[in-house]
Amino acid sequence: MKEQVVCKTTDLEPGQMMASYFGEKNVLICRTLDGEYYAFLNQCTHQGARLEKGIICGATTEQSKPGDYHYCRKGEIIRCPWHGREFDITNEGRMLANPKQKLANFQVRVENEEVIVYK
Amino acid sequence: MAKDQIRIVDTDIHERVQYKDILKYLDEPFKHYITNCNWIQEKHMPYTQPATAGVDRADAILPDGRPAGSDLAFMQKQLLDDVGHEYGILTSALDPSPSSMHGWYEMATALATAYNNWQIEEWLEKDERLYGSVHIAAQDRDAAIKEIERVGSHPKMVQVLLPIDDIMWGDPYYHPIFEAAQKHNLMIGMHHNEPPVYYGKWPRYFIEWHTLIPTAHMKQVTNMIFNGVFDKFPNLGLMMIEGGFTWVPHIMWKMDQQYRDLRHEVPWLKRKPSDIFKEQIRVTTQPAEELNKKEFMSLIDQMGTDEILCFSTDYPHWDYDSPTRALPNLDFELKKKIFSENAKAFYPKLPNS
Repeated sequence: MKEQVVCKTTDLEPGQMMASYFGEKNVLICRTLDGEYYAFLNQCTHQGARLEKGIICGATTEQSKPGDYHYCRKGEIIRCPWHGREFDITNEGRMLANPKQKLANFQVRVENEEVIVYK
Repeated sequence: MAKDQIRIVDTDIHERVQYKDILKYLDEPFKHYITNCNWIQEKHMPYTQPATAGVDRADAILPDGRPAGSDLAFMQKQLLDDVGHEYGILTSALDPSPSSMHGWYEMATALATAYNNWQIEEWLEKDERLYGSVHIAAQDRDAAIKEIERVGSHPKMVQVLLPIDDIMWGDPYYHPIFEAAQKHNLMIGMHHNEPPVYYGKWPRYFIEWHTLIPTAHMKQVTNMIFNGVFDKFPNLGLMMIEGGFTWVPHIMWKMDQQYRDLRHEVPWLKRKPSDIFKEQIRVTTQPAEELNKKEFMSLIDQMGTDEILCFSTDYPHWDYDSPTRALPNLDFELKKKIFSENAKAFYPKLPNS
């Protein structure tokens, strides 16, 4: 099994993300508001933009009705810096508009204040 | 994508001016209206741009906070050097275009002149890859012609830019503008600003408006063809910028069908509309719908020629198209045409090396 320290736990506040390397792969490390860490291939599935240049935010959800916005999931959604596509951090990096597509993801654990990505 | 083998000609790059940068090129009293009266151009769109960083790619905003597209060195690093452009056509972000102003044409004319001087001095003469667009305030037609006469012979100006908003440019009133463009070997580039695509109004949502921008392109093409612009100016070409391209076969078929029935109303048309399109109109690819190769090739087949499409990135805007990812993996000869040769063949002033 391959594993690698990608950052320190203190490098990311809840609701933030950063780029790092897992071997030669550029990976996106995300921290949700509950303090959990997640790791994805740092490349939008659409045209390959580096996602750390985008934002972590919430989303208007499928509970919304016409003319009535329902917004939640703060800190759980990555939006691409180019076309704004939304990916669900806590659901395997699946794209909100098409959940069949997802970001490649990696397993993550925390040890001794270090974030470790492994596959 | 064989980017090592094809150096691309990018037909839509947006450099951006900030008012403070253009002031030294602006005459009084127009400078006074900006510096002392805080005048800014009116905007019409009622929406917040719902992407990540407004109209821009979030990663194209400068590290010091200046707007995307406002710094040549940053554009060189992020786009021209990184992709390996051979040429790029600047299409600006003087927002909205002087030709979109709904009044005060004196100010619009002054802005266009200042913008052209800024563009030449700060961009065209600083990077040999960049070519430019002549800005005019077309509502004051005679002043617009003077501006084309003033800067149209600059070796790096390749087209006159007209916005797609609420003026139909095929109207004979504007034909002297096309005559001036043709005289200087300039093509016409049309790029949408804020066309009110819902019967002169705005739809409720940005996604509706943005979906329907190609309808504004179709309107201009139809208007230009049936008003006889291309028969009157046989050396003039029109580049339709940033409307995508999947609409092209539809409007060709529709215009040809109408022409067969209703030709008597526009007897100055000597060719069927789709032939005029093939000979004198080109279309930039961005924003490209996600097509597979079979779908893409089907569209080319329906267009009847592979010489219409010209690749564009729309850098640094949010709906940027990556040269390596936006189009399906095409055969090399077709790639060469779309990514380079079609644009070189279209713009007489672009080196065709």
